[in-house]
Amino acid sequence: MSVAIPARPSSPAERLRRFATRPEAPSLVFLLAAVAVFSITVDGFLDVDNLQGTLSQVAIIGIVALAVNQVILGGEIDVSTGSMLATCAFLAGLVAERTSGLLAALAVALGVGAVLGAINGLLITRLRLPSIIATLGLLYVLRGTLLAEGGDTVANTPSGARVLGTGEILGIDVAVFLLIAVFGVFELLHRHSLWGREMLAVGGNAEAARIAGLRVDWIRFRGFLLVGVCVGLAAVVYVGQIGQVQATAATGFELQPIAAAVVGGTSIAGGRGSNLAPIVGAVLIGVILNVLTLLSVTGTYADLVMGALILVAISTDVLRRRLVGGSA
Amino acid sequence: MTTPVKAPVKSTKRGPGVPVQQEHWARRAVGRRETVLLGLLIVECIVLGQLSEFFLTVDNLLDTSRFFVEAGLIALGMTLVIITRGIDLSVGSLLALVSVTIGFSYQAGLPFALAVLLGFVVGGLGGLVNGLLIARLGLSALAVTLGTMALFRGVAFAVSDAGAVSSFPSSFDYVGQFYVGGQVPGQLLVFVVVAILVAVMLGRSWFGRWIYAVGHNELAARFAGLPVTRTKAMVYVITGLLVALAALIYTSRVSTARGNAGMGLELSVIAAVVLGGTDIRGGTGTIAGTILGVLILAMLQNGLTVAGVPTAWSLVAVGAVLIVGVYINETIRHD
Repeated sequence: MSVAIPARPSSPAERLRRFATRPEAPSLVFLLAAVAVFSITVDGFLDVDNLQGTLSQVAIIGIVALAVNQVILGGEIDVSTGSMLATCAFLAGLVAERTSGLLAALAVALGVGAVLGAINGLLITRLRLPSIIATLGLLYVLRGTLLAEGGDTVANTPSGARVLGTGEILGIDVAVFLLIAVFGVFELLHRHSLWGREMLAVGGNAEAARIAGLRVDWIRFRGFLLVGVCVGLAAVVYVGQIGQVQATAATGFELQPIAAAVVGGTSIAGGRGSNLAPIVGAVLIGVILNVLTLLSVTGTYADLVMGALILVAISTDVLRRRLVGGSA
Repeated sequence: MTTPVKAPVKSTKRGPGVPVQQEHWARRAVGRRETVLLGLLIVECIVLGQLSEFFLTVDNLLDTSRFFVEAGLIALGMTLVIITRGIDLSVGSLLALVSVTIGFSYQAGLPFALAVLLGFVVGGLGGLVNGLLIARLGLSALAVTLGTMALFRGVAFAVSDAGAVSSFPSSFDYVGQFYVGGQVPGQLLVFVVVAILVAVMLGRSWFGRWIYAVGHNELAARFAGLPVTRTKAMVYVITGLLVALAALIYTSRVSTARGNAGMGLELSVIAAVVLGGTDIRGGTGTIAGTILGVLILAMLQNGLTVAGVPTAWSLVAVGAVLIVGVYINETIRHD
């Protein structure tokens, strides 16, 4: 984005410059370019079913990434989402088997998620553990418990409880609507409450935020709580899409929402980013993985592409900041 | 080059005017983090010894070391990285990449010694990539190594094409399956030697002091004229080389080079280092602490396995020990 050096502050140029300083600008431009190129060159990409499938797959990562993004904005990190997702999905699956309804499963998943998120939050704000340690500890504890006590696979989830994963409204997957709804909630929080500014203030400079009178611990705590709730929601989508849960489910998942936020343009150091960033990042990763599948490139290259994408994204951000400035 | 900054941060809480009291050595030892960790290790061994009489035998304890040396070697490098306020998530993937490099270049007809050398070159280069991106471009270590973690794993899978090499020259067994004097695993000796080297470098050399200085206050270190960029890049290169050594031992121990080696290793290595008292916020940490952290986690896993507890529960125990251990560490730190 080297276009925007305003000699005169003419209106379109100024608007372009404003856009260029937004955190998600490079990844959004890259995403649009990628979609344009793939639409022309890759057979079967520009197909309603394909695009729909890609977005549905992105939904789980996207919902979790939106919340993890909040935590990252606040200068913290959460690496426990993989085990948390598996735990919530496992318990939701069990409940769904017994009750064959959606509501009970959803309530259990959201409740368990909230409790787990609260545990993270308490470890970090009360015991003063660094967030990467506390969430890493929970990652191990939950996965171990699940492997030891989970026993057999929870299979044959009744179709009534799979609505969030398999249902459609107006021909579009419910999961996609959910992703958009969660995004909407976060945008509302950011635009019409103090939430967003408080989070950014804590992430930018926690000490300054404390002196300014913000309740830093509470702001951090509710960030982790929110990750738990969103993971609970994502877990019900997961159960719906897959229809079964194993004790090893979502192993290694924890790094994907972080990757999505970082690729989208949220600074891992905290204090800079947007709600759009994790969505753009998740969609970008999803689209590229989808194209690899369409080109029948073997799955072995997926990691390679994802790694390169992360490195390109964070390097671009440095480049962009040098060219057009913008808050660091 | 200017004089290195003063000794590592043991007394940051004391103001400049407060005289340093000469405490009795015993009292000083009691408050030290390493002493607490040593106590934790001893208590843990006693408890595990109660669970199974086989645990506290020389045979078992020595044999355990065959399994923690690889993570231990990497933990030495990770300690340096974390002291500089960095982190390296890519070590597990780099281990796989080095392992695959050695295996597949040997299979392609390279003499074995050259294949091993190539492995070390790859390890060093992998570390250099991390180091340059982090130190030169000023990118976040977490983000960079999250990227290289996926990248190295991807290259390892691409090179091996999801296959594996398991035919190696028979002499290669010596690296990971050799017992000195019939009982002491060869890799334990390697670990001891390397640990002493790294400990001396960190505790007694200029470079070690630069590492502490950079981690404690990077800006101040820069103003003091220290080669901050080089120091930061160097710790990742050292880690890369240690990963290569660990990969060599690992490949020999399991006699297989495969792209999925070392999955999740990065988190257990970080757990050991942080349990050992290295502050994730940079500036403090010792090799002795890290070794204790590695031992506590390794003994826990082995002890529970020997006692017949399902391996899954040892994962729970690792998580719990990590949280409790770091809580104790933090409490000591804030006193």
